[in-house]
Amino acid sequence: MSGWLVILLMWAVTYPARLLGLSLGRLELPPFWLAFLRFVPVSVFAALIVPDVLGSPEWARRVVGAVVGGALLWRTRSLALGILGGFAAYWAARLAGV
Amino acid sequence: MTARVVKHKVDWAAFGRGFRVMVPLWAGVVPFAVAYAVTARANGLSVWETCLMSVTVFAGASQFAAAGQFMAGGVPGVASALALVGTTFVLNARHVLYGLSLSRQLPLSRAQRLVAAQFLTDEAYGMVLVAGPRDPGGLSLGFLLGAELSLFAAWNAATLLGALAGAVLPDPDALGVGVIFPLAFLGLLVPLLAGRVAVLVALLSGLGAWGLGQVLPGGLVVLLVGVGGALLGALVSTRAGGRA
Repeated sequence: MSGWLVILLMWAVTYPARLLGLSLGRLELPPFWLAFLRFVPVSVFAALIVPDVLGSPEWARRVVGAVVGGALLWRTRSLALGILGGFAAYWAARLAGV
Repeated sequence: MTARVVKHKVDWAAFGRGFRVMVPLWAGVVPFAVAYAVTARANGLSVWETCLMSVTVFAGASQFAAAGQFMAGGVPGVASALALVGTTFVLNARHVLYGLSLSRQLPLSRAQRLVAAQFLTDEAYGMVLVAGPRDPGGLSLGFLLGAELSLFAAWNAATLLGALAGAVLPDPDALGVGVIFPLAFLGLLVPLLAGRVAVLVALLSGLGAWGLGQVLPGGLVVLLVGVGGALLGALVSTRAGGRA
């Protein structure tokens, strides 16, 4: 099968998923499902973070970066400071041989 | 919802603010896109096919997975091509959740949905959901499109760069930029950790995803854990009388 055809098929299974969710906003939902949607970001973000930190071959350094970044975010609520501080801590750990 | 309050004009000031709010994430996106492009080229995709995938599919993890499955020569057989498309579907099904969650707070017209859907990603969803309501104009179409297209522009420019000049660029691992994505999502998660239920859901989802990640591909893990964790949060909070 030619490369561009495979790519277009990949598009054909990705775009509808994105459109479907955006198209369901006017549904009248019971409280349980409204609570469900409130917790989606909490659970999705945690699922994106933890395997990327603990599942990485350099997990120890990333834990250092995540702990420092998380603490900064908690205290300052500044995204830029959290990312920069966490990245600096990661590099400090890496240079220290962690 | 009866009133058609959906505005049909894009607010360009909000677009600009949405675009800029994603710029710190470029540091994580650019090396990732370059690495994808280098992998795709090494497995026989042409420059234009490598770029076509970034323009159309526009989903990092599944592009990476697919690029690894193209054989030298660029043409997988029918069976492996269909397996590849199936993997893409499963990896990207989580976008249903993002759209559902966003559309509760930002009603869009049909035409707006058709455009916004093409550029929806993990990062844009997260940022728009958290930073959007704090924007001066509130969560708006302009802010959403700005954030979405900011990532799209960076992803595609870096794909082209990687496809043309990949071999002479530094390895992303050498720069340590892999840690930027978890840090960015941590920045989105922390403000949401208000209350014991949210902390519990985050802890169990994170550990569950780590465990499942040993045996399943990442996009599927995010989908399963996203649904499971949100169900848990809904169960606990509605039992507790609506406290979240």
